[in-house]
Amino acid sequence: MKSALILFICCLSTVAFSQSKKKVQFVGGARSLISHMSMDPGAEDTVSRKKSTGGYALIDLGFKINPNAQTEILGMIRINNDFGGFWGGGVTFDVRQLYVRGVAGKIVRYQLGNIDYKLTPYTFYNNDFDLQMNSSGALRIKEDVNNYETFYSKNNTWRQQGAAIDFGLAFPKVVNEIKFNGFITRLNPTNFTNILERLYGGGNMIVKQSKYLTVGFNHVSIFDLKETAIGTPAYRNNVSTLTAQSALGKKKWRLKFNGETGFSTSGLVEDTSSLSDYFINASASFELKDLGLTASIGYMDNGADFRSFGAQSKRINYDNVNTIFDRYTNDQILRTTSLYDLYNDPNYYNQSISTGIAAYNPALNNVLPFGVATFNRKGIYSTVNYQDKKKYVNLDATYYRLSEVRGQGTTELKKFDFAKTKLDINVSNMFSWKKKQTVNVGWSYQATNRAPSPFGGISLTTQALQVGGEFELVEDLFLIANYSYFMSRGNELLAVRDGNDEIINFTEYNINAKEGYYAAGLRFNFSEDVYLSAFYEGNSNNDNEINPYALNQVMVFYVMKF
Amino acid sequence: MKNYLLVFFVGSILLTACRKDEVDQFDGPSLTDIYGDFNIFTPFAVSAPTVDFGAGETVHFTAEFSKSVDWEIKVTGQTSGAIKIISGFGSTIDMSSSNWIGDITEFPIFQVEICDVELSFLNEPDVFTEQVEITSPKTNDGFLVADFESGFLSGWSTFVQSGANMDFQIKSDNFSPEQSSYFNMAGEVDWDYLIGYVYFNASAYGAPHYPLSNNPDNEYFNFMLYGEPGLNNSIMLFQFTEDDNNDGNHNGTNEDMYSLEMLVDWEGWRLVSAKYSDIPCLVNGQPAAPNGNGVHDPDKITSINMLHLANPVTGFAQSKLDYMIFTQNGPLKP
Repeated sequence: MKSALILFICCLSTVAFSQSKKKVQFVGGARSLISHMSMDPGAEDTVSRKKSTGGYALIDLGFKINPNAQTEILGMIRINNDFGGFWGGGVTFDVRQLYVRGVAGKIVRYQLGNIDYKLTPYTFYNNDFDLQMNSSGALRIKEDVNNYETFYSKNNTWRQQGAAIDFGLAFPKVVNEIKFNGFITRLNPTNFTNILERLYGGGNMIVKQSKYLTVGFNHVSIFDLKETAIGTPAYRNNVSTLTAQSALGKKKWRLKFNGETGFSTSGLVEDTSSLSDYFINASASFELKDLGLTASIGYMDNGADFRSFGAQSKRINYDNVNTIFDRYTNDQILRTTSLYDLYNDPNYYNQSISTGIAAYNPALNNVLPFGVATFNRKGIYSTVNYQDKKKYVNLDATYYRLSEVRGQGTTELKKFDFAKTKLDINVSNMFSWKKKQTVNVGWSYQATNRAPSPFGGISLTTQALQVGGEFELVEDLFLIANYSYFMSRGNELLAVRDGNDEIINFTEYNINAKEGYYAAGLRFNFSEDVYLSAFYEGNSNNDNEINPYALNQVMVFYVMKF
Repeated sequence: MKNYLLVFFVGSILLTACRKDEVDQFDGPSLTDIYGDFNIFTPFAVSAPTVDFGAGETVHFTAEFSKSVDWEIKVTGQTSGAIKIISGFGSTIDMSSSNWIGDITEFPIFQVEICDVELSFLNEPDVFTEQVEITSPKTNDGFLVADFESGFLSGWSTFVQSGANMDFQIKSDNFSPEQSSYFNMAGEVDWDYLIGYVYFNASAYGAPHYPLSNNPDNEYFNFMLYGEPGLNNSIMLFQFTEDDNNDGNHNGTNEDMYSLEMLVDWEGWRLVSAKYSDIPCLVNGQPAAPNGNGVHDPDKITSINMLHLANPVTGFAQSKLDYMIFTQNGPLKP
């Protein structure tokens, strides 16, 4: 038996760096931005500035050191210079990344320092930001910048500081292999008086029984270290889940089943009234390989008291406020956060996991504000994916029909509809053009309803459309253009919670907002990772019916990765 | 393979079926409570028509509504003008939420008098009224240093500068926050900070030391101080002299003196309370090390020196003082 059990490294790519002969490499990126922005307040405004010009140049310089074939050390510093600063003025130096990783004993892979990590959508997962749709053109450039700034890799990982290990075992009988993953990170340090040291740790064990069945056990825990502060009760959020994937198929079709179920407990350690609940999410998909068509249907039931803050934390911090043109008109109206702001300001983005229910914007996402792990939701969902063999089009469509599990303030349950679609059209392939021509369309619709009652019903509708394209004019020079439209109308009753996340009141939320955006410009690709782009964009916002406003901006981006 | 699928489906169905029935449950307060029509189910009432606070009696108010509301009960003394406000949120008012021990929210203090009681709501126009008669006002436990109702005690010592418009005396008029008398301090001294002082010597109460416990964390010094509208230059300084060596006297060179100093920059009466252990040692208004054992010893206080000061360039200064009292285990709740 001993000889039959084989320890192996889970991911071969992890040892790829060891194949490099260079002991020291330079990695990183550089970016420069020049922008000129103007605002039309739509009403008399003699007290606010209406134009803003600025820019910066930054370089992220990383030293990747391989002292031996099994170890890699990365240290990256950022030098940022706001335009207009000379001789050190406006220049900042920061440490952007620091990690050590390697393979111990040719068996266990480890990483210390910065780690990008995720487990499952119900345990540890960084959800896409609300209403993010098929970005293209100028929005795609901004989205890439925001993702880079916030260490978001489109892989739904969270950037944390801590340690992670993984290794695997292979077996000749009963099961094919077992993989183990573990991590521990620090969410916040103690202040030595009343804030306890808070850590986040967990891992999973993935058992691949055969090509037909894979089962995983996942556990994560946010926990305070007792006695690292005085007189402060310790907090715990434990989540344990079981995942299963099963597949069977033939040459022309494939049937897959996916599921995850588990439970959570959260609250103070000494408090016997801590919240606990469970969830189940199961789906079946059927793929017709010749047609490139996959359709699935699923059911989810997330308990009202299910809490998993590693999966329910939001990328956007809606408690943040605008830093540019924050007030307008002579009445100095506070400019609320618009969809446009979320593409323009990386400061809106969270880089940490927060315990407690995060603020959210019901106009942008009221159905699944905390991702698929959103508590108090149950119902069915369905997805369709179509990609033809010639790669003319790629279509993704998803629809959720959900309701609350438990009412809020009434036994009447809210009903939710959520549909979203992404469509990529490769015009070049359609017409066999050599130059790249792509069109991207995204559409999203959300509706929240609760039956009329003596106190009025709830009806909130949100719709967003995005159309864009990138058209190669001459070799490597692209015309980029996109248009998007967003509207939200209706009313909702938002829960007001106390420090223990218990609902203590409700506030009425009414909205009748429209937002339009367009952009057009050019982008020149020096190589796959280096480009220069200049574009003009306009945004009209009717969030406040009485005082609509408009923003216009010229931007020049230079982006390089090396 | 079939077995796997069977287990997968059966497990999913079982887990889904396990969900406890939550049809009759909801989170948070009932919307009926918040947005429903407002009606009075049980009329507003006082638990007793008369109350003897001096004997330890209390009074409370009752009412029941059709929904949870922000409510406020305002008790106003017809004679004193004293005000007590009790507020809360809910659909019932009962003893637990409205018990009144005779204390105040706004000066002056209640007297023997009839009080008007008014119940109002934050978001409802309805107002309900009642009356309650105080047959004896609340008394406060503690050691009373001075309320000026019986004039100057023979053991107190005083000094008043010979400045302009000097008025250092006990007065009895409607200004009094407690009963009928208070101590008025007024004058203009253009050559010195000191306008006048009163030393409240422990000997005036028949002992070399104030009759307090030895625990400085349990002893609270309280007084009522009036800020004159339009004037903000009065400085009140209270010095607590201790007899660390128990020889019956305070010697400033080798025994502690703690000082409480404040600029009277408010208008009207205000209750000031300080835990004795929090009162610092001051030299020329700045914190300094005490000259004695460095321990707050309330049971060794020989005198409380009350000095009325003002910057000589600021002109006329005026303030009023009443009801100096030591309380135990917490500040005074008049």
